[in-house]
Amino acid sequence: MEKKTILELKNVRKVFGQIVALDSVSFALKRGEIHGLLGGNGAGKTTLMNILYGLYRKDEGEILLRDQAVSIQGPRDAINQGIGMVHQHFLQISNFTVLENIILGTDVKNKYTMKMDQEAEKVKELCQRFGLNVNLNDMISTLTVGARQKVEILKALYRGVDILILDEPTTNLTPQEVDALFVSLRVMVNDGLSIVFITHKLREVLSVCDRITVLREGKNITTLDRKDASEEVFVRAMVGEKMDIENSIYFATEVRQTFDRTSVEAPKLKLENVNLISQDGIPRLKDVNLEVFGGEIVGIAGVAGNGQRELAEVVTGVVPVSNGKKIYLGDDVTSKTNEDLLSSGFSYIPEDRLSDGFLPKATVAQNLILGQHRIKPYSDGRFINWKTVYAETTKNIKEYNIKTNGPGDIGGNLSGGNIQRVLIARAFSMDSQVMVAHNPTRGLDIPSMDFVYQKMLARREAQLATLLISEDLDELMRISDRIAVIFRGQILGVLARDEFDKYAIGRLMSGITSENQPTEEKNLP
Amino acid sequence: MDTMIIEFLRLVLLSMVPFVLAGQGTMLGGRTGVFNVAQEGMMLVGASVGFLVSFFSGSIFLGIIVAMLSGALFGFALAYFTTSLKMNQFVIGLSLFFIGLGVSTLLPKLILGITLTPPLIPTLKSIPIPLLSQIPFIGPILFKQNILVYVSVLVSIGLWYFLFRTQKGLELRSVGEYPMTADSLGINTTKMRYWSTIIGGMLIGMAGAYLPMVYAGTFTEGMTMGRGWLAIALTFFGGWSPLPILYGSLFFSAIEVLAFRVQVIGSFLPYQILQMFPYIATILVMIFTFKRSRVPAFLGNNYDREKRSL
Repeated sequence: MEKKTILELKNVRKVFGQIVALDSVSFALKRGEIHGLLGGNGAGKTTLMNILYGLYRKDEGEILLRDQAVSIQGPRDAINQGIGMVHQHFLQISNFTVLENIILGTDVKNKYTMKMDQEAEKVKELCQRFGLNVNLNDMISTLTVGARQKVEILKALYRGVDILILDEPTTNLTPQEVDALFVSLRVMVNDGLSIVFITHKLREVLSVCDRITVLREGKNITTLDRKDASEEVFVRAMVGEKMDIENSIYFATEVRQTFDRTSVEAPKLKLENVNLISQDGIPRLKDVNLEVFGGEIVGIAGVAGNGQRELAEVVTGVVPVSNGKKIYLGDDVTSKTNEDLLSSGFSYIPEDRLSDGFLPKATVAQNLILGQHRIKPYSDGRFINWKTVYAETTKNIKEYNIKTNGPGDIGGNLSGGNIQRVLIARAFSMDSQVMVAHNPTRGLDIPSMDFVYQKMLARREAQLATLLISEDLDELMRISDRIAVIFRGQILGVLARDEFDKYAIGRLMSGITSENQPTEEKNLP
Repeated sequence: MDTMIIEFLRLVLLSMVPFVLAGQGTMLGGRTGVFNVAQEGMMLVGASVGFLVSFFSGSIFLGIIVAMLSGALFGFALAYFTTSLKMNQFVIGLSLFFIGLGVSTLLPKLILGITLTPPLIPTLKSIPIPLLSQIPFIGPILFKQNILVYVSVLVSIGLWYFLFRTQKGLELRSVGEYPMTADSLGINTTKMRYWSTIIGGMLIGMAGAYLPMVYAGTFTEGMTMGRGWLAIALTFFGGWSPLPILYGSLFFSAIEVLAFRVQVIGSFLPYQILQMFPYIATILVMIFTFKRSRVPAFLGNNYDREKRSL
């Protein structure tokens, strides 16, 4: 039997300032299907769904829900119409319990005593039916990302939605958690729900979706049944005609040579028992031992917030180590400041580009030399040679495809993706001995991501060392030579390229080592 | 000896009232994110207006009501400037403090002129509760107090119940924690902030009115003597929770009574040092409970739906 269309978005247009985010995009969702909304960063997936959920106003177009035109002014309207959305950033109150978060904003039976046995019963029933196990009395602040996502889904289900939108739901989940999520989604659609699954990960839509719509640069590219299309079709739809897929790293299938460490004598960078204790006395890094060799890309995997940021900042000298040793090219650089390190061959792509990596009021040229402004060719040690700076940065703007009016343009005028390109250009334009790249491809579209990977592999060829910290496990497995897994500030294991296995890495990411056998329902805080 | 202790403790309860009411008022506004720093000015207006209305109407009750309305007015102003106009809470709070300070001094001068003997109003009588006040020791301390002592305790318990045992209370707290979440779930954050600040303002106004009605029988300039500022310290001391604020008030009040005693009978310790104790204690409490402190996450911030960072 043909499934009925439950929701239809017709010719939706949305303009932000001068940028056309959505250009006459249409989308149809059928009852009981998982519909993948696939596209790279900036394709307009989230914008489209935010319009459906009432967070953005559309400039043109219409929304048909169960064949009726509807006007959705805010999330409240959306929920009343049976539409729920799970955002990438959870809207939860961290010092409320799970149950309180789920019922918040709905009428409970005992308003004046808040005895919520009946509500808890209903939530527990949902948990069981859809395989979403969380302890209702736990504080949100003690939960893992995976558990918090279940709470977010339960919030929508509790409100009785029949259309559920999930925005990049697998970000920061371990592969095991991803599998469990997919099982739950399948139960939901079998139960009559319809699901929109927003993602940029092709493999995920292929494994869980019934139909797939591809967006690129704010335009509809195609909508296809999963079973009618091959992987190649989607790849081409996602990236357009211009990109050379054959030689891309993003879509590479062939096995790369494992890094041969025996040919290199000593690591470029070595951390010996590095510890970091934060100001409030909490250990953030515990006895970290790590070596990065020239010609090697070492990946750091882990669920966000397990010490990745601290590791990057310790290596680059932004924060001093509490104890332990840092060796760079055989010298002890433990007490060197980041000014010293940046001048002597380190480069750094920080995770939080807006607060740590970019000066919005400075020019693009100034931003492009930031941190390297003390050394040649930009400076003779005392004065900055602006002529060279402008010549070099003009070249970089071109090579790194930064969309700007020129080196004199104010940084704040750039879009997020272009700011990221500035950070990348800055780090890669110098042949630094050691690069620390933290989520370097965040906010980039696929061709740009691929460009970053090419650059990293070029560093590898040039016998330079790269430390890649990423929340995207696929990215790490794509280009790392070794992957170290960090959990609560500890390196729980290091795997070489021929040992890569996403489930093994996933286990380590949730703190399960071989000595400490998995316990199924345990929520690791 | 016994009577001295009883008298001391009775006074502690008596003097706790302005702390309790102003503290709970501050807490209530803060629970939706509005950080009021105008208490000192608002209490002075409450004291001034409460005194004048009582003086002319002969009704203390009416004086209290009008003082509460004056507090509500200041609360409304605070809510309007911060929540509707999204202006900086501290700047607005300090401005309101100075306005309150000026208004409280000006009103009696305009209305009463300058008098040689201070005009007096009757002070609040203690209302002994039948039977309970007969209990030895505890009776005279707890159950032989004026009406506002009982009211302030009931307000504290009532607020605790409201915030932690009702649906509206949960919704109100969510606004002070993460208004974006509350908004996305259909909770009217603006309305919540207005009401909590207005009702909080009423409590602060009542706290001010208490002063001429219990201590002097008249209004004097600056008669709050820093109790409004102490109320801010108290809310932090009490972790922005009604019952700990009630207990904290007892401590703050005990110090006040002690400082007064020392001032009268003299001691090796200057009373100014004693008067610093509540502040020092607050700092110590904040240091030692830092990690567990339950300050509303959104305290002092204004929420702008259009600037949604999703």
